[in-house]
Amino acid sequence: MDDTLERPTSISKPVDLVDDGEDEQSSGEEDQGPDWTKIPSVSTARPFIPKRGEKDFEPTAAGGSGLQRHVLDRSRHAMLEALSAPRTISSKSVSYAVWYPDIARAHVTMSRGIHFTNMGHSVARTTSVEDSKKFAKRLELLPEETLYLVERGAMLCWKASDLVLTDAPGLDDIDGVPMTVQHAFAEMIGTADLTLEQYQVFAYLKRLGYVVTRTKPPNPEYPVPSLIEPPKKRRVLSCFGRVLQLVQWPLQLLLGLVSRFDWWRPIRLSCLQISDTRSLFRSLRFLPGGHDVPLHVKVSPRVTSPYEIFYNVYKPSTPFKKTAPPPPDYSVVVVNARTTPMPTLTELAALFGALPELPPPLPRKRQSFAQHKADATAPPPASTSQTTHPPSSLVQRLFPWAFPSRASPEPVRNANPFLSLKTGKKMVVIAAVDAGMTSFFRFGEGVFTEWPMA
Amino acid sequence: MARRIPLRVSNNKAYVWDIDDIAALRADHHICGVLIGTLPHLSQQNVFLGVPLLLMPEEVVLLVDKHLAVLVDDPTAHRHPSVDALRHWNAERAAAAKHQIGAAETKEASEKAAKLSMSEEAIRKRREREERRAAAARAKALAEGEDGNAPEASGSGSRAAPSAPFEQRPSTPSAQATPAYTITLPGSSSDLQWYSSEGCTYESVADAQAAGIWTYPADLHERAKCRVFRDLWEKGNFMGGGVKFGGDFLVYPGDPMRYHSHFVATVIDSPVSTIKPMEIVAHGRLGTATKKAHLFCGWDDEKQEVSYFSIEWAGFG
Repeated sequence: MDDTLERPTSISKPVDLVDDGEDEQSSGEEDQGPDWTKIPSVSTARPFIPKRGEKDFEPTAAGGSGLQRHVLDRSRHAMLEALSAPRTISSKSVSYAVWYPDIARAHVTMSRGIHFTNMGHSVARTTSVEDSKKFAKRLELLPEETLYLVERGAMLCWKASDLVLTDAPGLDDIDGVPMTVQHAFAEMIGTADLTLEQYQVFAYLKRLGYVVTRTKPPNPEYPVPSLIEPPKKRRVLSCFGRVLQLVQWPLQLLLGLVSRFDWWRPIRLSCLQISDTRSLFRSLRFLPGGHDVPLHVKVSPRVTSPYEIFYNVYKPSTPFKKTAPPPPDYSVVVVNARTTPMPTLTELAALFGALPELPPPLPRKRQSFAQHKADATAPPPASTSQTTHPPSSLVQRLFPWAFPSRASPEPVRNANPFLSLKTGKKMVVIAAVDAGMTSFFRFGEGVFTEWPMA
Repeated sequence: MARRIPLRVSNNKAYVWDIDDIAALRADHHICGVLIGTLPHLSQQNVFLGVPLLLMPEEVVLLVDKHLAVLVDDPTAHRHPSVDALRHWNAERAAAAKHQIGAAETKEASEKAAKLSMSEEAIRKRREREERRAAAARAKALAEGEDGNAPEASGSGSRAAPSAPFEQRPSTPSAQATPAYTITLPGSSSDLQWYSSEGCTYESVADAQAAGIWTYPADLHERAKCRVFRDLWEKGNFMGGGVKFGGDFLVYPGDPMRYHSHFVATVIDSPVSTIKPMEIVAHGRLGTATKKAHLFCGWDDEKQEVSYFSIEWAGFG
């Protein structure tokens, strides 16, 4: 903010900034329910997303004043009006699928629209037609994908039926029993490990435009991101630690002391440089710390934890290829807020153990819009000074430890560590659903050991 | 109340699918539930959601105990349709499509004549408009001082884009062998011939529990929540879920659509359970920050009554 005051420009503040401020204010008041009177009627050509409305403190005695009752009735009427809008779609853009309850998948017989660019996967199924087994690939949807398309009004789903429909008169172009949205809800939730909570999170994110896939492939053909290689260092260390634990604890302590602490040179020469406090502290550290060290917690015989990553979520802007999905932008765990307690340390450790490390967050730019534009248009500052180093002397090259390292510009420059500590190196999103209301929480693995406070 | 509202139960969750039922629950019984479905015509947002209405388990227990609603085993209520029923359904569908196509054709025929005379002039005007727009875009790009290439590219782009609809125009009438019509996808099952709640309707929670379609309330805590919910509801309050405010329920003086809640309620199972001072501080702080008072609702299972204590930040000093 001060920067903008120091450098006055003729360009006014961009409008988005003002808008953002307003949004923050209104989203803070979650109690502010949607105002159904502001909802655009069905006939409006271009739908827009209306804002939440104002509310009164309480009704006056005897059931509210006349005005209050009038406004309430209007709101209720608007809500019911909006709710009763039918799911209509042009016959040219509707998709069709057949739901097979025995395998909990829907076979898409007619796919139209952009939904199928990031939903559905192809599976080879044997279909026995007239005693000859056919092996054909077909597009299949998971229950949540099917349900989402059905309730969105983009697809009509048939339920596979035993009735012979093909030769019955008056039943052409019917592939089974037509499923209403209600039928689909009753039938599809509870199949293929899908709970209502998980479906709600799926639909919530899909409505916002995210691409959502399952983390654990429900069947072998389901495309998953090519294995995120777990951080190697960690693997080795933890194995090493486990072996040591098995041998004996005192031995481990001794080993740790010996390997970490050089008694003859408690403070290494290179650390005499006061500027390098980081390595100084590292050499002073007796006990191993940080997330690389395995937990000394007795894990009870593995009861399946509710804290398992269920969805991979991609931002709408991430280029997504259905057959070869990239590593996810977010990993989402879905829990039932009524029955699930906070994650335990072991559960969190298990979650983070499966996640990749994120790059450190970019320092927040305190730049005005005008400055930003000026920077973009101006030629980049001469970068020659960074690439050419003064030739190092022979002594320096022979004894590099005696000199402060100049070549490696450490990110110590990021003076304020709080953003990094807050963001953490790994991140998981936990969606807690309580009877239809979803709250998303972000759990980050803070790395305090890597940020000396002195 | 003559009619009991059918609550469709599947997977231990109770839904309401009919708009009239949702209206009746709200206006007559002060039960709001949560809408969880996608609104078909506003499908890319989460502020306004549509059917189904999902009820909190406490709401379900209350409605059934008060004989205001019945539980219907929804998966069972969807029967296997007979071929006749399917044929009937398909005939209706075909008739609707035919009706629409017929209506569209007559409308088109009447409009065609008017259109034909208009079209020549319209096309000319459109072309002029596009050229003007392209020129403006070019001028703008030049003014912004971009590379020489950019305006050219954008110019050709803007010209290419409008030309596409031109080419498509004549093709649409030719594709009218099977004209487009609007399909209405069915939402609620109540109108289906093969939907029948006969034989799978339960009038009490115990019956539904015995049938294995409903489990709530299963333990003391859940029972306490049901009774606290019921007690507050009987006092004339509207109740909502309190998960976003760190409590079990929100207590509203009127319809949540129009009024703010006054209390965040937390249910305490028994009068002898301990409350840590930190909880009081946290609840007091949180409630005050959201302009609500926190309400501790203690359930006494022996006396079968609820006692209430509200906490607010006193604000001295």
